[in-house]
Amino acid sequence: MEIIMEIERKTKELEISPEELAKTIDHTLLSPYKNTTEFKKLCDEAKAYNFYSVCVNPYWVRFCADELQGTNIEIAAVVGFPLGQNTTNIKALETKEVIENGATEVDMVMNIAAFKDKNYDSVKQDIEAVVKAASGKVVKVILETGYLTYEEIVKACEIVKEAGANFVKTSTGFGPLGATIPHVYLMRKTVGDNFGVKASGGISNFRDALRAIAAGANRIGASDSVKIVDGYTWAKLTDWNIEEIPCRLCPSRKASFAKMSKSIFQYYKTKCVDCPYKEFNKFYE
Amino acid sequence: MILRINLSNGKIKEEPIDAETKRKFVGGRGLGVKIIADEVDPKVDPLSEKNKIVFAVGPLTSTAAPTSGRYAIVSKSPQTGTIVDSNSGGFFAPMIKGQDYDAIIIEGKSSSPVYIWTNDGKVEIRDASKIWGKDVEESTKALVKETDEKVKVACIGPAGERLVRFACVINDEHRAAGRGGIGAIMGSKNLKAVVALGGKKLQVADETKFKEVVKRCLMTIDKNQITKDSLRIMGTPALVSIINELGIFPTRNFQEGYSKEADGICGEKYLERIFVKQYACYGCPIGCGRMTRAGGEEGGGPEYESLWALGPECGVNELEDIARANYLCNRLGLDTISAGSTIGCAMELSEKGYLDEEIKFGDSEKVLELIRKIGMRDGIGQDLAEGSKRLAEKYGHPELAMQAKGLEFPGYDPRGVQGHALGYATSNRGGCHLRAYMIGPEALGVPAPIDRFKADGKAKIVKLLQDVSAAVDSLILCRFASFAITVEEYANLLTTATGIIYTPEEFRTVGERVWNMERLYNIRAGFGKKDDTLPQRFTETTLKEGNSRGRVVELDKMLGEYYVARGWNSEGVPKPELLKKLEIEKYSL
Repeated sequence: MEIIMEIERKTKELEISPEELAKTIDHTLLSPYKNTTEFKKLCDEAKAYNFYSVCVNPYWVRFCADELQGTNIEIAAVVGFPLGQNTTNIKALETKEVIENGATEVDMVMNIAAFKDKNYDSVKQDIEAVVKAASGKVVKVILETGYLTYEEIVKACEIVKEAGANFVKTSTGFGPLGATIPHVYLMRKTVGDNFGVKASGGISNFRDALRAIAAGANRIGASDSVKIVDGYTWAKLTDWNIEEIPCRLCPSRKASFAKMSKSIFQYYKTKCVDCPYKEFNKFYE
Repeated sequence: MILRINLSNGKIKEEPIDAETKRKFVGGRGLGVKIIADEVDPKVDPLSEKNKIVFAVGPLTSTAAPTSGRYAIVSKSPQTGTIVDSNSGGFFAPMIKGQDYDAIIIEGKSSSPVYIWTNDGKVEIRDASKIWGKDVEESTKALVKETDEKVKVACIGPAGERLVRFACVINDEHRAAGRGGIGAIMGSKNLKAVVALGGKKLQVADETKFKEVVKRCLMTIDKNQITKDSLRIMGTPALVSIINELGIFPTRNFQEGYSKEADGICGEKYLERIFVKQYACYGCPIGCGRMTRAGGEEGGGPEYESLWALGPECGVNELEDIARANYLCNRLGLDTISAGSTIGCAMELSEKGYLDEEIKFGDSEKVLELIRKIGMRDGIGQDLAEGSKRLAEKYGHPELAMQAKGLEFPGYDPRGVQGHALGYATSNRGGCHLRAYMIGPEALGVPAPIDRFKADGKAKIVKLLQDVSAAVDSLILCRFASFAITVEEYANLLTTATGIIYTPEEFRTVGERVWNMERLYNIRAGFGKKDDTLPQRFTETTLKEGNSRGRVVELDKMLGEYYVARGWNSEGVPKPELLKKLEIEKYSL
């Protein structure tokens, strides 16, 4: 909880322009049903706002590459998405194909089940295969932190770093929790300064984005990118920093019985009981 | 160009607007406020011959700017005694702008019922005795028949004719300039309607750049979840579930903030049971308008506020009954928010035994009967036609009127949204949600979420949104576009349309100037710090159910901060240096 309050303070002090904020964002569209019109719009928005990249499913890589030709906007493709349960060969093959089609970055999902089995060699080999297939392009590894304990997040970050990837990334947006401040902070602390940390999942407004950056993220994944940047221009007009009740930003309060395994749910909830800040955690606060 | 019509002597003339006025007040609400401040004594009886009505459009009206089909009506309110502006969409505004008019000033009083017919710059004051007494629908049809099938009509119904203090003006049969009783002012002047036809094509200063800005605005509207999905698919009734879940859905005259039966009138049920089709106002890519069918009738709405006011506020939870009550208000020309809330007040007075007549919460047939009686000023309707403030005062319990400065609150209980509460208390036209739509950040998370229960730090955000809203009302664009469009793009739209350069800061200053002009007018009319208040129900009595339970409004804490943020003294009076900065020092007290 101290970390959350510290990050809230840092967020207030953060000096970043709307343009710089836009340049940290992977403008994301990973819907199963959105069609050409929507992806054309995604690319138009990326150009208009100068986002860092568009992040899409493999099927849309070539289309986006054509749309964004001649710009400096990167194309990130998700691999083994969203469950991370494909075989290593398939992940590598998928990576090879998206790179051939124009992807300049790959966001792969870690094999969470193998990780839970403590089969760390297998997890590492899985990542290594994708890194190799990516031929020097940036590889981000999605840990899906909502399925992990704090201790597991540290271990997963170490594996990703050893496997030669470039980023650790919090979430797919399809799993539990999304990006939370303590997780992002822990990931940055574990990987050090010279490694990428991408916060994604549930970042829907500029305050979430700024908090993630203050916590240590150097890349944001978001579908609400336009709202984030436009909202930030509003925030520049007056003091928008109203202190948030820290529990709202804590994974322990966000943990949901319906969305996660029973053991992880209990792991987070039991931390609330002993938290010195539990007085904040009134149910309607 | 201004069109000035004097109903006392029949004189009609056109007057230019000076460049300085255009730069400082832009159009719409801003221009109207400037005219009323210059020409109408703040102490004047609003229903007297000396009051004036300004119909105003703006530099973006009927351009390609999204939601540019709105007009404002500005006057001194018979309901509140404050300066008031009310605006409406539909297709009426482009007909005014299409004749090159920025504003129509209506002054004096006709000796007999008349309507104004402006046909491509040819203006007549015509006899309306044959349509006087007819409802809005009948009047509109009759006026179209009498003039031209392409015209657009803004008229009053029987309620306006009978000076009901919350009578509204309705254009296109079901779009209302609803708040503040402007319909009664028209009635007091024996003015039944303004009928307009104009089709002149308008030029903006920099067509190419203007189109680029419009394209960017459309992109953001099409990306924003509220403007792209919620309002387009479900219309404003989408709010019912959200607001109820937050525990700020006022029920039974604000006695509770949560309704167990709200799922029966939510956006989904609306689609399933009464929805006929969606429609959009002029130049609107959102299309929140709804045509519905209920009880064998078809009509426009109810929108969220009407749905709430004629529904849970009165303890009614049947969609069809609410829709019928809404149609009746539209035909009579009544503001649905004030009508519903005044009936809700009467119900509580009756429930507590302060009113002899039995008026029970949940009695939908009684609601219909009372609406009719209000519109016709019949029986108990005489008392209700005065609005909840005067009604509750007459029966000895002013605390039961849910209003600020005499204007009834809309459908958000302020106890669960502190900033919104401050917006209600400080609104220049009384209990209004649109002056600073703090529901945006506090409940919907736009432009960014803020803690709805916190009072600290809210004053500056309320001020910002009040200023921006006043500026947007001067353009004049629909507020729903504000969910998506930024201040910077508003400034760009205005700059490229007029050729006058407005930075985002200057755009905000337009709003701040208008806000302070309104404040000064109200102070001259006798209002002050004592009126920046809320009913004690909100500051002393907690909600018992729902997700805002246990809350009251911390108004005193916020009000002091607000005056400081505004640059006002501790009594809420704008300081001379502020007025100088805003270039309105000549209006200093």
